[in-house]
Parts: sequence; structure tokens; C-alpha cells
Amino acid sequence: MNSAGTKLEKISAGEPKAQLRALLVEDNPLDATLVLRALYQEGFDVAADVVQDEDAFTRSVRANPPEIVLADYNLPNWKGMEALAVLRREGLDIPMILVSGALGDVTAVECIKQGATDYVLKDGLTRLPEVVRRALRERHEHRLRQQAEKDLARKVDELARSNADLEQFAYVASHDLQEPLRMVTAYTQLLGERYKGRLDENADKFIGYASEGAVRMQVLIQDLLAFSRVGRTDAACASVDCNAVMEEVRQALGSAIEESGAAVTSANLPAVWAERTQMAQVFQNLIGNAIKFRGKEPPVVLVKAEKTGENWLFSVTDNGIGIAAEYADSVFVVFQRLHARSEYSGNGIGLAICKKIVERYGGKIWLESFTGSGSTFKFTLPQGTENPQGARP
Amino acid sequence: MKSIPHLLVVDDNPADVILVREALAGSVHRSRIHSVEDGVEAMAFLNRKEKHANAIRPDLVILDLNLPKKAGLAVLAAMKAGPDLRRIPVVIFSTSRLSEDIQRSYELGGNCYVTKPGNLDEFFAAMKSIEEFWFGTASLPRQGE
Repeated sequence: MNSAGTKLEKISAGEPKAQLRALLVEDNPLDATLVLRALYQEGFDVAADVVQDEDAFTRSVRANPPEIVLADYNLPNWKGMEALAVLRREGLDIPMILVSGALGDVTAVECIKQGATDYVLKDGLTRLPEVVRRALRERHEHRLRQQAEKDLARKVDELARSNADLEQFAYVASHDLQEPLRMVTAYTQLLGERYKGRLDENADKFIGYASEGAVRMQVLIQDLLAFSRVGRTDAACASVDCNAVMEEVRQALGSAIEESGAAVTSANLPAVWAERTQMAQVFQNLIGNAIKFRGKEPPVVLVKAEKTGENWLFSVTDNGIGIAAEYADSVFVVFQRLHARSEYSGNGIGLAICKKIVERYGGKIWLESFTGSGSTFKFTLPQGTENPQGARP
Repeated sequence: MKSIPHLLVVDDNPADVILVREALAGSVHRSRIHSVEDGVEAMAFLNRKEKHANAIRPDLVILDLNLPKKAGLAVLAAMKAGPDLRRIPVVIFSTSRLSEDIQRSYELGGNCYVTKPGNLDEFFAAMKSIEEFWFGTASLPRQGE
């Protein structure tokens, strides 16, 4: 081994012992032997280097990083505490225990503050094995915890990336699809107008189907684009008064409310931390659905909010046709429709957008409904009108 | 008598150029429509360079954003940086609904931004109203020869 160090190997005998690679910083060979004996007697099979200055210490930790450093406080040519600086410089996370003659309480506390794991007096070496065991155990647990934290951070990272990729994909796909589709739409329509009645009857019908399909696909792409934009908006969150939002929504749905004779009422609603347009979209989609899927009676829609724990619980209740319990989850899936296009228009994007928005703010949305007796959509949003911790910007 | 207005359409999609021509066919303004397919050629036309040495200075530019060689916004920036060209009104006519594109177009001095409608009737209506506004309602600067 290296010339500056003394190699001490204990040969184990009898019962199996725990292997331990230690590095001793010690100028007194007798003390070194006592330290090793104390460990050996308590079941450690120690392989140790003994060094007494910075150069030798550095060489030893580089060549063969120990599991533990046992350092004397006072050395003729060096200070035991400086071993800590070397360990840090070398990027090594190895526990160091001071083994020392007289060491005042104040000094001992100071050493531990500076990063020593523990200290043992030379006339109390019987404590040493337990101190070493504890230091190794703590190091092991610390590493496990670090590893777990790293794994978790990596998984969160991967998930965020794959979500972002997906959104980017949906966005690019829908954006780039629009251009060629616009050509198909415009030219089938032009063909239909220009050559109407000049080909045969079937031709007019076929052109009609083609352009209807193209127009429907345009709407689908617009919807997909709107859906993928929910997470990409650059508008800022603020405290949003839901009463004012409801007023806007009533105006936006004005003609639908008038035509259906709907009564849309809202009890005193709270302010929440969100993007105003997104909150409006949630209310508008839910209330719009309530009016669209009405029964024989004119629609009655009630919007309420109550405090539950840390959240606001919003509910939008209607007296419409209701939704069978088995569809309670699937209504929130993109492009999921429960009715034929001839019965009710729409692409099945509204509730998917509601879900994405509510979840973006850390809330949940669900449905309580039974066929024939109306629907109640409920969703939660965190209380508070300031940026909550952990919410995505 | 009013002179015939000249319109430069900068669009790499010949199908769109045809739609513009169809939209304005038979209009009272009898606009002459010129078209170029990329940003570099647009600048050559406006600066009367190379094969466009005899090009006429247009009264209005209809500019797509997504162009080969030199992007629409770069063409817009170059036009608005030139002492003569900056007088020519530019209508950005693009499929993009991105707020960044709209914002940027106005920042660079674009005179108006119109999203290309997907529907034929709406496309025709948009083009006709652009023509009617710039050549009917608005007063335009005299373009230097």
C-alpha cells in the first residue's frame, strides 16, 4: 500500500464478522491498534489504512474510498477536522467520527456543527462500535432516501415531459392539418357551387357529402386545438370573481337561454385563483350542456358553491334528460358522445375541456346524475385567491 | 376617373391565389391581381428587381405568414423598414390564429390581420370586404413610380 500509510489487517476468526473499510487518521500506532481492537471485539472485520497527513489521506480516499473515517483531533502535522474539507473537495459523502483524547464539550459540539458525524473519547472506546454502527446505518438510510427522492424527481420529470410532448403533438397535428383541410373544404364547396346541376344528381350528392365531412373535420380540429391549448395558454392567473364570470356566461349564452326559456340562477359564488377565460369556459360548457340536453320542461339551472375543507365545491344542477350512471366517467373523455348527431349537435369536447381546466387548478370534476331526473355536475377548486403552492403556472 | 388598383398576393399556395382571384372576379373595383410564391420574390417584386424590373408598385399587399425562403413576418419587417414600401398597406392573411402571430404582425406595422376562413363563403366574404375597405372606403397614398 502507500508509503505514508500503515496497513493494518485484522484476520477474522470464529463467528462471521461485518466487513468494514475504515480510514484512520492517527499518528500514534498504539491508539490505532486500540481503535481497531475495539471494533474487532464488537464484530467488525476491519480493513484499515492509517494516515497522518493531508497528502496521504487524499491519496487513500482517492485510491480506495473508505466506508468510515476515524480521525484523531490532534495530530503533529495536521488537524483531524481538516479531513472533512478533503472529503468535501473530493465529493465524497463519508461519515467521519472524531476519536480523540481530551476534547472539551464546546469543541466537540463545534466539530459536529462543522460536519463530523460524532465523537468518541479515547478512554471511552467501548462506545466506538455502536457509534460506527449508527453512523453507517444513518448513512445507508440517507442514501436510500436520496435515491428515492431522485427516482421520484425523475419520474415526475418524465411524466411532465411526456405530457408536454403529447400536448405539443396535438397542437402541431391540429394546426398543420388545418391548412390542407381548408383546401379540401374550399374546393369541394367551389366544385359544388360551380358545377351544381351540371353533372348528374349523384355527383351533386357526393360533393355535398365530401364538403359536409370536410367542414365537420374542421370543427373537430378546432376543438382538438382548443383542448390542447388548455395547458398552453399564456394568460395570467388572477383572483376571479365567479359571480362576474357567471354574468358574462349568461350573456354569452343569451340566445340559447332565450330560445329555451331557461332559468339560470347562481347563489353567491366565491372568488378563485384561475384564468378568467378558463373559468368562463367551464361554466359556459356546463350550463350550455344543461340547456342543450333539456327535457320537455324549460331548463332550470342552478349554480352553487360551498366550502368543504380546503376546497370550494361547485355544483351545476339541471332538470334535463340526465345521464345514465354507467356513463358518469366516459362523458369527460375527448370526443365521447352519448347521442346521435341527429338528436344533439356537438363533438363531445366541452366536458373534456372542463375536466382539463379544473384539474389544471388542482380540482376534480364529476357527475351525479340519473336518467330522467336531471344532472348535477360537481367540481372542486382550491380555496384562496392567491397563487397556491404547487399549482402549475 | 379612378385608376385600377393593383393588389399583390404573396402566397405559396396556388390554390389560395386562385380563391383570391375567384373571390374578386367581377368586383366593381376591377383590381389587378399579381401574385408571387415566396418572400424573396415578394421583395424582388416590390423593389422591382430581376424579372420583376417592370413590376408595378401595388396599392395593397395580401401577405401569407408561412412562406418559403423568407417568412411573411420578415417580408413585413423589411417593407415597414423601407422609406417607400412602408406606405403600402399590408393585410396579413394567414391560417394562423396564434395570438403571438397576430401580436407580432401589428408590432411590425402590419395594417390588419385576417385569419383565412376555412369555409368557401367566408373566404370569399373576407376577401371581398378587404378589397372593399381598402379600395372603396379607405383613401390610399399615391404610390411613387
